[in-house]
Amino acid sequence: MSPIWSAEIAELERRRAMADELGGPEKIHRQHAAGRSTVTERVADLLDEGSFEQIGGLAGFPGETGEHIVPTNFVFGVGTIAGRRVAVGADDFTVRGGAADASIMAKQVDSERLAAAYRLPLIRLIEGTGGGGSVRMLEQSGYTYVPANPGWDTVVDNLSLVPVVAACMGPVAGLGAARVVMSHFSVLIEGSTQLFVAGPPVVRHATGEDLDKEQLGGAEVHRRSGAVDQIVPDEASALDAIRGFLSYLPSSVHELPPVVEGREASGDVEHLADVVPRSRRQPYRLRPVLDAIFDAGSVFDYTCYSGSVYTGLARLDGHPVGVVATDPYKGATMTPNGADALTRLVDLCETFHLPIVSLTDQAGMMIGLQAEKTASIRRGARAVAAVYQARVPMAEIIVRRVFGVGGAGQINRHRYNRQWAWPSGDWGSLPVEGGIEAAYRADLEASDDPEAMLAEIRERLEAVRSPFRTAERYGVQDVIDPRRSRELLTSWVRDAYRVVPELLGPPSFGTRP
Amino acid sequence: MADVRAEMSASVFRIDVTEGADVVAGDVLVVLESMKMEIPVLAEAAGKVEELLVNEGDIVEEGALLARIL
Repeated sequence: MSPIWSAEIAELERRRAMADELGGPEKIHRQHAAGRSTVTERVADLLDEGSFEQIGGLAGFPGETGEHIVPTNFVFGVGTIAGRRVAVGADDFTVRGGAADASIMAKQVDSERLAAAYRLPLIRLIEGTGGGGSVRMLEQSGYTYVPANPGWDTVVDNLSLVPVVAACMGPVAGLGAARVVMSHFSVLIEGSTQLFVAGPPVVRHATGEDLDKEQLGGAEVHRRSGAVDQIVPDEASALDAIRGFLSYLPSSVHELPPVVEGREASGDVEHLADVVPRSRRQPYRLRPVLDAIFDAGSVFDYTCYSGSVYTGLARLDGHPVGVVATDPYKGATMTPNGADALTRLVDLCETFHLPIVSLTDQAGMMIGLQAEKTASIRRGARAVAAVYQARVPMAEIIVRRVFGVGGAGQINRHRYNRQWAWPSGDWGSLPVEGGIEAAYRADLEASDDPEAMLAEIRERLEAVRSPFRTAERYGVQDVIDPRRSRELLTSWVRDAYRVVPELLGPPSFGTRP
Repeated sequence: MADVRAEMSASVFRIDVTEGADVVAGDVLVVLESMKMEIPVLAEAAGKVEELLVNEGDIVEEGALLARIL
């Protein structure tokens, strides 16, 4: 005898099978032909095998006969990544091009509420257009409405509560684009995905600019824009980046960052005594420094757009930390974009209670007309303010330069933080080069041999700027053999992690994107 | 085809290649000077220098095209 509810259970299976068909074979074929996976494939690829529990999978639109139901184009639920529970919400481009519809709104909002209610990291795989759908919807609904971004209150609050990660999985515009950037980490796939406020047809109509999707919002645009954090080559790398980023963060601001088993550094520690050239005009390579200080394989690059300002996440003996450093091959100063990246890293660390390590080499905020036109000073000062608002422990290794307001503010120098300088340390309110001629102009003009005098002054100042002079006056906590950097930071990080539990809970400010 | 761009606002301190030259990954193409530092711009992959768009002494902005490698 069959169970009482067998007919309904069979109907349930039929409906689930219809939902699995997404927008139909033809649309799925087109999705694959464009080099993109379906929503089902992506969710499966992202999560631990078989771990996805879908919510609201029966929602959809019955056709005229009521027999065939087209599912909503937003799939969400709970699953695990490396055994940890996460919330995931993903757009289905095969149904109405991912454009939002009436019932998707409730599901999309609920994906945010789910993450908030159960303190789960939230992953958004976005391949949708705006929240308004198409203008065609106007005729169907018969009225217009004053827009409110769906669930925006939760979207905003989540930034101060749980890790939020977003990936552009196709062309993304409007509300979809806003949902990408309302995150702690976002990725864009080079060549196949784009991000813009409005797509090419709308732009052509509004401004006359005739650009294709890639020209308007592709990788070349966003490599320097600051709208997304990382640009990756394909979908698999996007999902890898998401999993990698989340591995450093707790599930919410109420939990400790996940400490894992430590690993030795992969880099050559001996090289640290050799890495900074004696000539101040010559750059050094940052990557070998990172590899010799942090656990093997633990260095995760955060912001791609920040030029010389390197931001990243890494581990010291298994303990997650935020890292700020300088890549001299990309410049010497803190550009406005670099300042924004520093703000972003420090805010992330304050929100999720990651101690911060600065490998300081900062010549100051960017100068020149271009810098002034892009508000170098305010964006730089904002980064320094973020540094001062953060309560998490900080440690600093001065690799080379500390100059100007930007250098002074790379870590909080008014609070007690650990600090070590390499012998290559070079600091002051102003660099000596270029300052001598101005400061000694009268003496030089009066001299019979200004060249010789200049050389003599330079030699005198060279002795004064030795880091040992500073250390004599306790102007720096210690000067160290660079090869001891990892050992000292590894001891420090254990002290730092003893303090972190006291900081748990919401950040000292509401986190913004 | 690879576009070689300036990572920062700088002046062109030195040009180490000529148009038509073959380069391998890691070769110095151009040396920029910014904030009293000499910053080499390296070839990311092997190829031929198709076009050089700057001269020594030029001022370039961040993102400016310096050369094209084919």
